[in-house]
Amino acid sequence: MRSKLREESLYSLLFLTPAIALVLVFVYFAIAWNVYISFTDWKGLIPSYRFVGLENYRTLFHDPVFWTSFRNNIILIILFVPGSLFIGLLLAVLLDRKIKFENGFRTIYTLPFALSFVVTATLWAWMYDPSDGVLNTLFSMLHLDFLKSNWITDPHVALYAVILALIWQFSGYTMVIYLAGLRSISTEQYEAAIIDGATPLQLYRYVIIPQLKKPTLSAFVVLMVFSLKAFDFIWVLTSGGPGTSTFILAVEMYKETFAKTKFAYGASIATILLLLSFAIVLPYLYWSYRGEKE
Amino acid sequence: MRAGRLILYVVLIFLAFVYLLPLWSAITTSLKTGKQVTMTTPIQLVLPPYFGAYKTAFSELRKPILNSLLFTTFATIFSVMIGSITGYALSKLLKGSTSKKLLMFITLGIFLPYQSILIPLLRIITKLGLYNTIPGMILTHTAYGVPITTLLFTNYYHEVPDELIEAAKVDGASPLKIYTSVVFPISIPAFVVTAIYQFTNIWNDYLFGVVLTRGEEAMPATVKLANLKGSFVANWNIQMAGALIVAIPTLFIMIVLGKYLIRGYTSGAVKG
Repeated sequence: MRSKLREESLYSLLFLTPAIALVLVFVYFAIAWNVYISFTDWKGLIPSYRFVGLENYRTLFHDPVFWTSFRNNIILIILFVPGSLFIGLLLAVLLDRKIKFENGFRTIYTLPFALSFVVTATLWAWMYDPSDGVLNTLFSMLHLDFLKSNWITDPHVALYAVILALIWQFSGYTMVIYLAGLRSISTEQYEAAIIDGATPLQLYRYVIIPQLKKPTLSAFVVLMVFSLKAFDFIWVLTSGGPGTSTFILAVEMYKETFAKTKFAYGASIATILLLLSFAIVLPYLYWSYRGEKE
Repeated sequence: MRAGRLILYVVLIFLAFVYLLPLWSAITTSLKTGKQVTMTTPIQLVLPPYFGAYKTAFSELRKPILNSLLFTTFATIFSVMIGSITGYALSKLLKGSTSKKLLMFITLGIFLPYQSILIPLLRIITKLGLYNTIPGMILTHTAYGVPITTLLFTNYYHEVPDELIEAAKVDGASPLKIYTSVVFPISIPAFVVTAIYQFTNIWNDYLFGVVLTRGEEAMPATVKLANLKGSFVANWNIQMAGALIVAIPTLFIMIVLGKYLIRGYTSGAVKG
């Protein structure tokens, strides 16, 4: 029995080594290294690890582009996260009514989410093209000229155009999450509420919406973290422009690091992103871990 | 009641048109000559179709697509295999708080903003001599795939009854033997879901590709597609053809194997 146990722990070590080694190097060691780089003066292609303390952070907090990116990131979060949740819920509620061809509709709405951000950014560049693009042409045809816009070439509109396209891409994902949540409500719960004489509105208010707390929270975390690291789509569609109108932190980090080779400065932006993301994720993990214990 | 149903279907069909509009206009535009693109509306399909834009786009994308296929396939296989043995160890060999803590330790990587490891990653890959190589892309995608594959497999194996494994143990089988003869055969559904999820994610990646590759030796299709935007400015037919070519594998997966991909999303998965 004893040797059996020892054999088991030997095997678990064997099975766990690849994952732990990879995560240790590529996640934890890399995070620590990045934080360290953010305290140095590394500029240019050759690494320099001269320690300068909080210098980069001081510069960062006085950098107007940082605050523009930060503000745009907040706008993105405020509009994109609730927007995707709401439209996903709406689609899920519409589809959860014994629809014919439900699979077909579901596939159509989730199709955008399966695509690479580079693909969707290319498609939306054409949608938003001010001269011959899809949207402006369509609005002309439908005599809705007041809806025409310069879209991603207008600094006042560009960020909102980006957000609209991202909601298009993510609402299929939130729909799928909500649909799974709606389907997990037992028929007894519905029947009990209906026998008690609940109106459809009450049914939603007291039976369905409380049950959707868990899927909402997990989708919320995914969308929040995405808003922080969103890079591919914005970079390919607008490169942060016009001007800095669609700069968010991830875009600024990339530009400082790889276009201007200010590695230490880029590392400090990356560290801020990491802290923001942990501020969202750690309470969630704590909450779901506690939920499991109950 | 009937009128209500009718309105519901009208709304659903209208929304389907809205969701498909970007794809539809990409298809119509990709099948036009440059002149037809400016002469007709993007909604209109012109017949007979012109395939010249596809020819140009494909000749540009051929090598990067082969690169993507190669590293995506291998990184999918490796990350799924590692996720499976790790999930097995965490749910069946180890119990209690050690296993929970290790799971947390590994899966925290799911929520990592990749910007925060990008500079060290570039250094590590360069130091290993793997910059701008297929093995470099495989290693990177395997490493950052492991957190999510581990989570998916651990969740799956938690559902597998312990008795199944106990029975094999009584027969004197080693954990390795139990894995290959008992656990592996019943994990096929988890392998399908996780592999499809990983393939889509890795194929769609742009950030790692743009940082870790330079020339066409290892450049992913997504990076090349983004570059086409610069080299074929306002050649919308070529850009749309390129976008659709790069989209084919994931579109195929969504349309044909969508239910497995959706299962990956709903088991607590993340994109980007």
